[in-house]
Amino acid sequence: MSDDLSAPLPGQSDKVVQVDKLSKKYGNNIAVNGISFSLTKGEVFAFLGPNGAGKTTTVEILECLRNPTGGQARVLGYDVSKRSDRAEIRKRIGVLPQDFNAIDRLTVRENIDYFGAMFKRQLDADKLIELVDLKDKRDEQFKKLSGGLKQRVGLAVSLVNDPDVVFLDEPTTGLDPRARRDVWGVIERLKGQGKTVFLTTHYMDEAEYLADIVSIIDHGQIIASGTPDQLIDSHGGKKTLIIRDAGEEGLKQLPSGLPKAELRNAGDIAIPLHNGELTNILMGLGQTPLRDKEIEVRRPTLDDVFLNLTGRRVSEEGN
Amino acid sequence: MRSRIYTIIKGHFKSWYRSKSNIFWTIAFPLLLIVLFGAIFGNGSTKFDLYLQNRDLNPTTFQPTPLSGGYVNILNQTAAFNLHLVSIDVQDPIAYVKSDAQLHNRGQRLLVIPSNFSQTLLSGTKNATVQLYMDKNDQASGSLLGIVNSVTVSYAAAVAHTPDNLQVQQIGIATRNVRYIDFFIPGVIGMTLLTTGVFGAVNTNGRYRELKIIKKLATTPLSKIEWILGMVGYQMILATISLVVILFFGYAIFGVTVTIDIYTVGLVVAASLLFPGIGMVLANFVKEAESADAAANAITFPMMFLAGTFWPRETLPDIMKIIANFMPLTYVNDGLRDALIYAEPAQALTNTIIALGLAAFFLVLGSVLMNWKEE
Repeated sequence: MSDDLSAPLPGQSDKVVQVDKLSKKYGNNIAVNGISFSLTKGEVFAFLGPNGAGKTTTVEILECLRNPTGGQARVLGYDVSKRSDRAEIRKRIGVLPQDFNAIDRLTVRENIDYFGAMFKRQLDADKLIELVDLKDKRDEQFKKLSGGLKQRVGLAVSLVNDPDVVFLDEPTTGLDPRARRDVWGVIERLKGQGKTVFLTTHYMDEAEYLADIVSIIDHGQIIASGTPDQLIDSHGGKKTLIIRDAGEEGLKQLPSGLPKAELRNAGDIAIPLHNGELTNILMGLGQTPLRDKEIEVRRPTLDDVFLNLTGRRVSEEGN
Repeated sequence: MRSRIYTIIKGHFKSWYRSKSNIFWTIAFPLLLIVLFGAIFGNGSTKFDLYLQNRDLNPTTFQPTPLSGGYVNILNQTAAFNLHLVSIDVQDPIAYVKSDAQLHNRGQRLLVIPSNFSQTLLSGTKNATVQLYMDKNDQASGSLLGIVNSVTVSYAAAVAHTPDNLQVQQIGIATRNVRYIDFFIPGVIGMTLLTTGVFGAVNTNGRYRELKIIKKLATTPLSKIEWILGMVGYQMILATISLVVILFFGYAIFGVTVTIDIYTVGLVVAASLLFPGIGMVLANFVKEAESADAAANAITFPMMFLAGTFWPRETLPDIMKIIANFMPLTYVNDGLRDALIYAEPAQALTNTIIALGLAAFFLVLGSVLMNWKEE
C-alpha cells in the first residue's frame, strides 16, 4: 500500500474522510476499483449507486470492518489499515449498518444504553430519544416497533457516542415513503447540528434531498462527483415539458416543428426543452386540444444523471 | 472493559427472562422431565451389565454342568442383564472386571458361580453360595441384588426343591442405594447446561450476526474477547439458576439429597464454557440462524441420549458406548453424578479436568473461528 496520501495529524484537518485510490478485491472480483474522494467536516455526503456497486464495501472499510487491498483511507486523520489507529476510529465514529436491528427484547431506552455502554463518551439516552422522536416508544420493546421506528432506533444507536462522523448504510431501504421521510427528518436534524454524515443509498431522490456532495459509484468506480445541482447541470440533460395522460392521440395532436417528443409509460408525452423554447411551445399547444391537459416542466434529477452516465436506471429495489 | 462485559451479560439476561419460551426450555422443561421420568421410572431399573464366572464346569469337557448352565440361562431369561462371561482361566476375576468394565464403560459387577454349585443342589444338604461383587456406589445395586436373589431362590426351589441351600453372598456392595431419580437429576442438570449453552451461543452468535448486531458491535470499542466473556458470564448465571432450581425441585418433590462441593462448581464452570464454545463453533460453520438452530438440535439430541442423561450408558449397545466416550456431555454428566450423588471426589476430579480441557478446546476454537469483523 502506498504512503502517498498526505496524512494530516488526527483531529487537525477539516477533512473527516480521505480516500485515495482505494481498492478491494474478493478473489478475482473487484468490488472497489481505485476510488478517491474526501469528506469535509459538517457535510452530508451521499455515496450513490445500485446494489453491488461497492458502496457497502467502501463504507465498511472506513468503519474498520474490512481491510482494503490497495490504496489508502483515513478517517479523522487515522489510517484504517493501522491496528492502533482503528481503535481510535472506533471510539469516534457512529455506524448504522445496512439492515441493522437492535436487540429484540430490550426496550428503545435499554438498547440505546446497551450500545452506549460500549463507549466511554456517551450522550444522554433521553436526548437521543427526543432527537429521533421516539419519546412515546421509550419503554417499548424493539421487536414491537414498525420498520420506520426501528430504523430511528438504529439512528439513535449510531449517535450514542456523539460521533465526529456518522456512517449510515442504506438507512431507508425497505421503508415505506412516510417512514423514509421521517428518517430524512432525523438526518436533516443531524445536518442542522453540524454533524458530518456519510450516507450510502440507491435512492436518487434521497441523495438529492439530503446530500451536500454526491459521489456516484458504479461497478466499483466513482463515475461522477459534485453537489446535486452540479451533477444535474453537467449530466442531467435538458428540462422536459410533460403533458400528462395525452396518450398516442396526443402525439398526433402536437403542433409541427416541435423538438422530438416521446410517449412515456403512463401515457405522458415528454418534450425536451432547449433554451428559450418554452414560450413558443406553450403557444403552439394552446392551439390544440392538448391545452386542456395537465402540463408541467420537469427539471432533470439524479435519476437522469445516472441514466445519462450509465445508460440504465436504478430500480426501487436498487438493481 | 468490565462495564462492557456487564452490559453484555445484562442484555442477554434481560432478553432471556423476557422470553416465555426461554424460561420454558431452561426451567420448566427440565422440571417437567424430572416429574415425568421420576413418576414413570421412580426407583425402577433397566437392563444391567453383569459379569459372570461359572466355576462349576464338567472336569473333562470344561463345559458348564447342566445345573450351572441352566442357572445362567434363567438369569438370561429375566432380560434384566447383559451377561458377560469371564473365563475360568482368569485368576483374579475382580481385577479383570474392573479393567474390562472401565474399558467398555460397563457396570463393575461380578457374579461367581462356585465349583460346588451342582453338587450342592443335588445333595440337598450343604449350602452353596453364589458371590455377587458390586461397586459400592452402583446405583443399580438394590434392584440387581433383588433380581439375582429371586432368580437364585426360584432356581434352587425348582431343581432341588430346596430354596434355602443356594444363597447369594453380596460382597463390596454399595452402602447407599441410589435410586433412578438420584441418577436422573444430575443428568437433567447436564442436559440443561448443554441445551442452554449450545442454543444460547448459536442464537446470540447466529441470530445477532443475521440482525447485524455483531457487525454494529464490531464498529465500537468492544473487543471480541469482551463479547465472548459477556456471553460466558451470562451462561454461568443461567447454569447456576438451573442448578439451584433443579436441585431444589428434586429435593422438594423426590427427596433427592446431594453433596455440593468444589467439583460441582468446577463442572458448572466447565459446562458454562464448554457448551457455549460448541455453540460458537457451530454458529461459525452454519451461517444462517435457522440452519444453526437445526445444527444445534442435531448435536444436542444425540448427545443427550448417548451421554447417559436418561439411562445408564451401560444399557446402550457397545458401539454407542464407544461413541458416548466422544461426547463432551458424558464427562459433565458423570462428573456431576460423581460429585452430587456418589460423593466420589477422585472420579469427579477426573471428569472435571476432562470437561475443563474440552471447554478450553472448544472455547478457543469457537473464539478463533468467530467472525468478529467481516473478514
